[in-house]
Amino acid sequence: MTKLKTVLLASVLIAFGSAAAAADKPIYGVLMKTLANPFWGAMEQGVKAGAKAAGVEYYLQAVESDQAAEPQLNTCNTMLEKKPAVMITAAINSTILLPCLKRANEMKIPVVDLDNNLDPKVTKDAGVNIAFHIGSNNETAGAQGADYVAKKVGKDAKGPVLVIEGLSGNITGQRRAKGFAEELKKVAPGLEVVASLPGDWDRGKAANITNDILTKYPDLKVIFAANDGMALGAVETVFAANKGKQVTIVGVDGNSDAVKSIKAGRLTASVAQLPYLVGKQAVENVKKVVAGGKVDEVIYVPTLVLTKDVLEKGTEPMLKYVK
Amino acid sequence: MTLLEVKAVAKHFGAVQVLNGVDLTIEAGTVTGLVGDNGAGKSTLMKTITGLYGTDGGEIRFDGKPMTGLNPGQRRALGIEMIYQDLALARQQDVAANIFLGREPVKWAFGILPGFVDKAKMDADARKMIDRLGARIPSIHRPVGMFSGGQQQTVAIARALTFNPKLVIMDEPTAALAVREVESVLKLIRQMRDEGIAVILISHRLNDVFEVTDRIVVLRQGRIEADLQTGKTQMREVVGYIVGAH
Amino acid sequence: MTAIDTAGRGDAWRRLQFFFDSKVHVRLESLIVLALLCVAMTVLSPYFLSVSNFLNILLATSTIGVLAIGATLILSSAGLDLSLGSVLGLSGVAGAYLSVELEWPWFMAIIGALGSGALAGYINGQLITRTRIPAFIVTLGMLGIARGVALIIAPNGGAIYGLPDIVVYLGQGRPFGVPTPVVILVLTALIAHYVLAYSRFGMHTLAMGDNEGAARATGIPVERLRRELYAISGLLAGLAGLIFMARVNAGDPTAGYTYELTAITATIIGGTSLFGGRGSILGALVGALIMGVLQNGLNLLAVQSYYQQIAIGAVLIIAVYIDQLQSERERKS
Repeated sequence: MTKLKTVLLASVLIAFGSAAAAADKPIYGVLMKTLANPFWGAMEQGVKAGAKAAGVEYYLQAVESDQAAEPQLNTCNTMLEKKPAVMITAAINSTILLPCLKRANEMKIPVVDLDNNLDPKVTKDAGVNIAFHIGSNNETAGAQGADYVAKKVGKDAKGPVLVIEGLSGNITGQRRAKGFAEELKKVAPGLEVVASLPGDWDRGKAANITNDILTKYPDLKVIFAANDGMALGAVETVFAANKGKQVTIVGVDGNSDAVKSIKAGRLTASVAQLPYLVGKQAVENVKKVVAGGKVDEVIYVPTLVLTKDVLEKGTEPMLKYVK
Repeated sequence: MTLLEVKAVAKHFGAVQVLNGVDLTIEAGTVTGLVGDNGAGKSTLMKTITGLYGTDGGEIRFDGKPMTGLNPGQRRALGIEMIYQDLALARQQDVAANIFLGREPVKWAFGILPGFVDKAKMDADARKMIDRLGARIPSIHRPVGMFSGGQQQTVAIARALTFNPKLVIMDEPTAALAVREVESVLKLIRQMRDEGIAVILISHRLNDVFEVTDRIVVLRQGRIEADLQTGKTQMREVVGYIVGAH
Repeated sequence: MTAIDTAGRGDAWRRLQFFFDSKVHVRLESLIVLALLCVAMTVLSPYFLSVSNFLNILLATSTIGVLAIGATLILSSAGLDLSLGSVLGLSGVAGAYLSVELEWPWFMAIIGALGSGALAGYINGQLITRTRIPAFIVTLGMLGIARGVALIIAPNGGAIYGLPDIVVYLGQGRPFGVPTPVVILVLTALIAHYVLAYSRFGMHTLAMGDNEGAARATGIPVERLRRELYAISGLLAGLAGLIFMARVNAGDPTAGYTYELTAITATIIGGTSLFGGRGSILGALVGALIMGVLQNGLNLLAVQSYYQQIAIGAVLIIAVYIDQLQSERERKS
């Protein structure tokens, strides 16, 4: 009997103690889109590493898919109930989280826009104050793809180009496609974008589109896809049509499948976003903000063009952030 | 010759006891009228005979064989057929498909592919059966849902008679028919009896029951209330048993 | 004189319809929609009308086509399978996991894909017939479960890349110039067509979808039949998953997202009833082709994404409307 009491008392004390300990340390709330994607998996690892280095605790939430906008808003609201020290959010679109973020502002919780999903103009209009936006610049990523293409096939090259966009209406895919197309016009005006079609982030659909466009333009020179999954779908179609040597294919993300395919000499290049670095730097900068320091309003984390060359040499310092 | 023996059959749905130990014997080549108020258990009793419902007690023997554990298909194969009140037709399928439902003849297509339904044989047999019933049907290739009530009934009857049944149960076959159609159904019942088929006729129309049956069984609250020779009873007596005035 | 003429023509038209309905098992109206669409695309794009482009269309239709076969069987029986797309994703990942991550022999990719699909369908069927939970709910649940399991199996939710060559051949090979997925689709469709239109299994499926009580009363084992149908539907989703995986050379856990809706739509366009009792495998293929031709044409014309969505939506409604118009007239006559 006494023994039981002691055990009970001890466990109550422990529970109380740990709660108190947790309350001492500031806890960062991190809200992501989904974990069903290696991109966000790498971002989470970066957050983890950053938090460890900065000696802070965090808890992470995500929703079932990167289309589940309303559930994300609900999750955001629930997270505020725990009164986190900071809210680091990767919004599914530029407006859905605004009501929640406004409430966070009212609760004096600083808000960070992870992966540049919010539009500064929109947030200002809505009266939401964002501590800083951090992420890679999707337009720059597209432009880097175009620069690489110009370097690979030559500035004066001529020929048709296919752009495979993301989900119709999705801002990330649009920015990448736009950045690519605009830069390509500047650096290699002989290359003409003959079709820019929605691949809906769907590998199979990207494969079909590539097939269709190869029918119309058997001399297709370049394919730029707004993510690696679609680029890899295009790769399979191009190689099945025995045009692997003729077509330069560039994707965006730099995920592990893409790296494998690049090493195997199939995918030509991928503009790697460095989600690990984004996550890590986000936490590091948050610490500054919490401590009362100043940071830039928009922080761009660089992107890196992965090619067979870069991967084989392995000398590029940023390579260690490619997960 | 005793064809069907129902002994102490009981059935309940949840807390409701629908059949309370029913005993019933049916002879080959006779027509038995089964009457009773709504909810007396007539249809339930018949469905325990066709195998659509299991029983909670008692025994059913057909042709001397116990029926326990046999499904509707197996019981049909032994010669128990029922024409349901809703006719149980697949309305978007054609006449032949309905008549042969569950018993489609098969053949080898091109001599190599097994299990092809022999549509030509089905159509020919279906047409023969419809003709034998003296019915007129616009086209046996049409979905039966496009036919009139009487025509649909013909299809249901044809299905029951095509495979030489020994017992045919008819649940309210005349309820939805015009006078002339009723006559032909009654004629058909007599014809079946003459061929040695046992018929159980469930009907609210006592005139029809008196006209065509040899025997009238009254079911009341899940029990056999009376078992009467049609020639030796009268409408008033039967009604009395149905409402429980005896 | 004129009256007789038109009557005669109407009669010939109806006879033609009847011929297509009962002998070819495809609604004449769906074929007309497909033909019109092909004519329109031929006029609009010089690249449309060629053998190689038609092979493209068939190749692009193969995954949805195989799913639509499953959807047709299920809808014919008055069932519903919302898990088709997710099961497609799961089976691709399962096959890729066995052959790539575990490095088991290549045929395990095939067995894994087909097996996991059939297993998911088997579970659907067991739950629907044993627990009496509506198929809508059971398969909606499976939609989530299969997608979740696929994401768990795949490392970090990413795709499993780099399949054995023999498996890739199933998606990218061209025996006699015809893409393997097209061969698989055509063979599967022929078998399924034979089963649905000519076998006892098919007739019982249609009868059950038409009037389950009647099927039961005539001795058809409806529960067992239903279980078999869902298992077959799952198996077909597994086959579609295998094709998808082989085509893109990866087991992608996000593959097949919302494909069940496309498959069901193709099925309905092809003249299968959403409420059971009427179904045509060849019709579903025509339906899938209508959507495939449209998508191919829009790609060849490089139509912008928002306009693509509008065009696809409009053609769906028109296709089903034409079909409806006809059955409306039939009912009145």
